[in-house]
Amino acid sequence: MYFEIFKMAFEALISSKIRSFLSILGIIIGVSTVIVVVGIGSGAKKQIEDQYKNLSATQIMVMQMMGRGAITTSKLEAGDADVIRQKVEHVSDSTAFVSGNTSVSYGKESSSFSLFGITDNFFDITNLDLATGRVLTPEDEDTRAKVAIVGSGLVDTLFGEDMDSEKVIGQTLALSGKKIEIIGVLKQNGGSAMGRMSYDDALYMPYSTAQKTILGGNSQMMIVVLMENVDYVKTGMEEITSALRIEHKLKISQEDDFRMFDPGSMVGAAQESANTMSLLLISIATIVLIVSGVGIMNVMFVTVAERTKEIGIAKAIGAKQENILSQFLFESIILSIGGGLIGVLVGQIIIPILNRFEGWYVVPSFMGVILSFTFSAFVGLFFGFYPAFKASRLDPVDALRSE
Amino acid sequence: MSDVLVIKMEDVHKSYYLANGEEIKVLRGIDLEIKRGEFVALMGESGGGKTTLLNIIGCLHPLTSGKYLLEGENVGNVRDDYTLAFIRNKKMGFVFQQFNLFSRLNALSNVALPSVYAGLKKDEREKRALELLNTLDISDRKNHKPTELSGGQQQRVAIARSLMNNPEILLADEPTGALDSKNGLEVMEIFRNLAKQNKTIIMVTHTAEVAKFADRIIYMRDGKILDHNYTLKSDY
Repeated sequence: MYFEIFKMAFEALISSKIRSFLSILGIIIGVSTVIVVVGIGSGAKKQIEDQYKNLSATQIMVMQMMGRGAITTSKLEAGDADVIRQKVEHVSDSTAFVSGNTSVSYGKESSSFSLFGITDNFFDITNLDLATGRVLTPEDEDTRAKVAIVGSGLVDTLFGEDMDSEKVIGQTLALSGKKIEIIGVLKQNGGSAMGRMSYDDALYMPYSTAQKTILGGNSQMMIVVLMENVDYVKTGMEEITSALRIEHKLKISQEDDFRMFDPGSMVGAAQESANTMSLLLISIATIVLIVSGVGIMNVMFVTVAERTKEIGIAKAIGAKQENILSQFLFESIILSIGGGLIGVLVGQIIIPILNRFEGWYVVPSFMGVILSFTFSAFVGLFFGFYPAFKASRLDPVDALRSE
Repeated sequence: MSDVLVIKMEDVHKSYYLANGEEIKVLRGIDLEIKRGEFVALMGESGGGKTTLLNIIGCLHPLTSGKYLLEGENVGNVRDDYTLAFIRNKKMGFVFQQFNLFSRLNALSNVALPSVYAGLKKDEREKRALELLNTLDISDRKNHKPTELSGGQQQRVAIARSLMNNPEILLADEPTGALDSKNGLEVMEIFRNLAKQNKTIIMVTHTAEVAKFADRIIYMRDGKILDHNYTLKSDY
């Protein structure tokens, strides 16, 4: 029986197409907004995740202070990594490295890349994996070997994107007039640790080679410290500060000659702001959906008023209150679910269009579809109930008399 | 016609209350007995309470006071929607002056509608509806919408609908009021035939030409029955 009543509800909606369409327009806009907005939210999250993929929440970066107030006589040194490892509690590992920019050429191709001068535990701490070749050894360090491990971005730029990484091994690059042999290639990393510095568009050489032979004075010393777990990051930073101040023999009146940050907190902050943005946008879309529900309620009241006579006839030939109620409820639910479906479709069409614009990154999300669809069905049920209830309680004789 | 009483009313009163609380007495003490298979016409002046009485018999209205026994059972105080809907669905068939068909449904679906509410299966429903349309000689119009049918055809569809769940009682409010005299007479012939098949028919009319088809004419005025077996003054 309910199938028949459903069918009648559907036919009633079909018979007034324009009104039905107008009443679901709000739902369509609301649902597609939710879908796009959730997509924008998860896009932002994904971007953040990609960007900070190789950051461990337990990392602390220590850098040399630059610019105003910098003290040139005392600098961050490679030995500071050992000091930190020895003096600070709950440090699982630490490594010092130098970084700088350098021009690299292979044949006629030439471009600027980040150069990291590293020691052998650098790749463990930064979660970077080798795709092929070998890692740096203490021997390379001692002999200031002119060898380098290269990032996938460098391979793409200098050798072309179709280049097999195996064939890159043994090739010779030219850096500041010096010939450097490639001994390894890293797997693609995607993101970067700190802003513009990319692990892909970079090459990695023994600390001594990079520092003394290539970069000279144009290098920046950095230390990565890995704490045993996230809870020690805050105390770790305090302890590193005091350990380094003692090591650098700073007086109380002197400011730190180094600075540090924990990348983990940056991820957290970025994610939090992305979440806040999503929440804000979803709230707006929710308001649109609620307003569209009021629109549906309005239309349903008009429909009930228009069909009062039909309701009277239906009651006279034996329709129960629940039959009348369900017919009008079906109508509003069909409207809202129909609007929801069209909205989902519109959302899926809008997302790829948005992604064509520079700076937009919208990820279609199943969650958004479910969320908005369920919500729109609920809106139809909620806002359709009162008009349907009123219809079902009409006095049959009064209803029959109306024209 | 048998001697079994289908409808019995004792001292039935019905009042409406205006918004200011004023009471409008529409029925003032109706006593009524109608036998199974009887064809009764309700006549009387406008505002005399004919339609109200018909609606009370059809369980569309509750009583203000008094007793209404339908097949011996007091249904005058029933307020429960399920029971009322059941009585209207299975026990009564309504025929209206303006036909009151659903404009979106075709003739066949209009006829079948009461059994949708009764929960009958689609094929059984359509079979029965088609039979009824056949009996009433309009099965060739089964796929037409009401707007594509003449008044006489619409009223036949409406009569078929009233018979759908095979009710004991047919209630008709001015069934010929919107028809020309030829179609009106045809509808009366249909009613006469149904009365022969032991259907109880109660029909409101103000036309003597129509009333004369009934077995008995009840004459009402000012909410009371003046005559339980009224005789028409002249030959029609």
